[in-house]
Amino acid sequence: MNTIELNKVRKSYDHFVAVDDLTFHIEQGSVFGLLGPNGAGKTSTIRMMIGITVPDSGDIRMFGKPFERKSLERVGYLPEERGLYKKMKVVDQLVFLGQLHGLAASAARQKAAAWCERLEISDWLPKKVEELSKGMQQKIQFIATLMHDPDFIVMDEPFSGLDPVNVVLLKNVLLDLKARGKTVLFSTHQMDTVEKLCDSICLIDHGKSVLQGELKQIKARFGKSNVQIEYEGDGNFLEKSNLVAAYNNYGNYVEVRLAPGADAQQLLHVVAERSRVSKFELMEPSLEEIFIESVGKTDA
Amino acid sequence: MHNLWIIARREYVERVRSKSFLIMTILVPVLMSALTIGPSMLVSKMLTQGARHYVVVVSRQRVGEAIQQQLAKTQERESERATTARQKSLQRGEAAPPSQVTTDIDTNTSGEERAALTERVRKKELDGVILATDDALAARKLTYVTRDVSSFIQTAILEQSISEALHREALSAKGLSQSEIDGVLKRLELVPQNAVEGGPGAANPQATFFGSFTMVMILYMSLLLYGINVMRSVLEEKTSRIMEVMLSVAQPKEMMAGKILGVGSVGLTQLAIWAATAGAISAYGIQVAGVPIRSVISLSSLAAFVVFFLLGYTLYSTLYAAIGAMVNSEQEAQQIQFLVLMPIIAAIALAFPVLQNPSSQVALWGSMIPFTAPIIMFIRIVVQTPPWWQIVLSVVLTTATIYGLIVLCGRIYRVGILMYGKKPTLPEIMKWIKYA
Repeated sequence: MNTIELNKVRKSYDHFVAVDDLTFHIEQGSVFGLLGPNGAGKTSTIRMMIGITVPDSGDIRMFGKPFERKSLERVGYLPEERGLYKKMKVVDQLVFLGQLHGLAASAARQKAAAWCERLEISDWLPKKVEELSKGMQQKIQFIATLMHDPDFIVMDEPFSGLDPVNVVLLKNVLLDLKARGKTVLFSTHQMDTVEKLCDSICLIDHGKSVLQGELKQIKARFGKSNVQIEYEGDGNFLEKSNLVAAYNNYGNYVEVRLAPGADAQQLLHVVAERSRVSKFELMEPSLEEIFIESVGKTDA
Repeated sequence: MHNLWIIARREYVERVRSKSFLIMTILVPVLMSALTIGPSMLVSKMLTQGARHYVVVVSRQRVGEAIQQQLAKTQERESERATTARQKSLQRGEAAPPSQVTTDIDTNTSGEERAALTERVRKKELDGVILATDDALAARKLTYVTRDVSSFIQTAILEQSISEALHREALSAKGLSQSEIDGVLKRLELVPQNAVEGGPGAANPQATFFGSFTMVMILYMSLLLYGINVMRSVLEEKTSRIMEVMLSVAQPKEMMAGKILGVGSVGLTQLAIWAATAGAISAYGIQVAGVPIRSVISLSSLAAFVVFFLLGYTLYSTLYAAIGAMVNSEQEAQQIQFLVLMPIIAAIALAFPVLQNPSSQVALWGSMIPFTAPIIMFIRIVVQTPPWWQIVLSVVLTTATIYGLIVLCGRIYRVGILMYGKKPTLPEIMKWIKYA
């Protein structure tokens, strides 16, 4: 079953088309990445999904039904531009947001305490929000999104500004939710996160979908056309080689994409002639490359 | 509806719990009373500081004696008057005279003597020297050498006494007896009486005036204060971006209504605390500046206060909520705010004329125009009950305007809270209103 379905959804502001006939769906129990450069229409799309704005045309179905406000009780939304009441105590804040999501005050209090324990911030419950660090506030917002145990979780850049330890902590929470059959939608620029977590993606640019489907299939479609090489000596000749379509020097190693029709063995030969090779590996392109290439194409 | 209550309750609880609520609740009555009773207490305190010692320089001993006598008499009369005044009503700036006045007569009119006396005043051996030589009397302009030139009340009392002394002296020179002179110079009193029998103010017009004026000022300040609170609160949600989180669960209209309801309840709570305190004070028979509060503030004027506070607050806070949603910072808010401030200030500027003339054309129109009605109609009700149909019409017109504003401002609010960045232009706002 699909948690959400968008069918030819369109939204324009004045003469600017923010979302242009967008169609995709998210299966229940999957982690979905909504990707795209700044201003591609990600936030506009999310706002329509959760009823903050209404599409000009097309339709959106949530939990198999046309949109209704009642469904929002099963949704947890963490916006990219997020904040909390600065002067309010953490616990009061969580209880307030929990109540808005339909929890009773006492239940909200319990859930808040349980979540804070899990995310290792119990000590901060009686403190005012303004006393908290940015990262800590973000954890509170994370909790506020999940307190009412939503079936559909929408998170816009959930990990930005968090240290690696906390990223792992929150990632584990999300994987746990997935295991419990919850559906998660991510909107992010952090491609490594998407690669690790997402089952499928939709890449949009200028409000249009440019690439979508299961992550594995997409990567397979791009094939093993990348080569990572570690060697001693000057490797600049690679950049000019006609076997190479793209060249990226990372300092300790270089990564190249083979030109269409070029043979990896031939490249190895060329490199071995000029330097001592310590590593030569054929691999799938990273999502970042796919992203840059796909978005670049539509701009051209 | 469920969300509206949760939002209103959060707004209410957070505000009532805050320190600023406590401070305001205590500080405003203190400031109010300091402003009304303070100056008169201060002046009387300033002037009762110990005995005062004057020297009158005169050409003729008789003139000097007349002034000496009169100053002593004035001192006695003024201190009596001041005592009764303090007991009876709040007479602003009515000063109690010095506890005792000594006046010496000096018939040496030479320049050297004058310089010597001036020097003594400078050294604080004397409090003042009055030069009442015959030349000066002929010119009807006396010089008064003193250290505190700006103490105009003291100067006025002296001036009055000396004039009276000279009148007495002149009349007695014409051959009138002491009792005849007293008869001529006896002060008369003007007693105002309300044409409406039993109407307000019959007993103590000054107290009624100040009582009404204080209530009007409290109404004005509350409208302003709580209206601006609503605006700040909306703006805070916008700049802190909690708005985005809220929007995924609550509808804009719930957020706006909840906010107005919450802040308004805080206002009512604060006003109720003040009213209860005032009530308790008057129940204990303690009088504010000599006036029992009950005689100034009736139950009906309290009821009118609540009605017109609610009308005015809803009207202005709706406008303020829209402004809060439109702008991105306090600075921008201040620029637009004057549009809302203008009618409130206009209303309060009319307060004095309307208080004095509650049935004039200005008062009538002011109490019908919805933006000034909450203040002006309240004033009219307090000082002189207008015809019923006028009160009803005023309330109906204001309520209708509030309804229109809620629809209009609700639309601005709904779009505005999602707009960050630049300040919207008027055509843009018009477009927001047109969005279905």
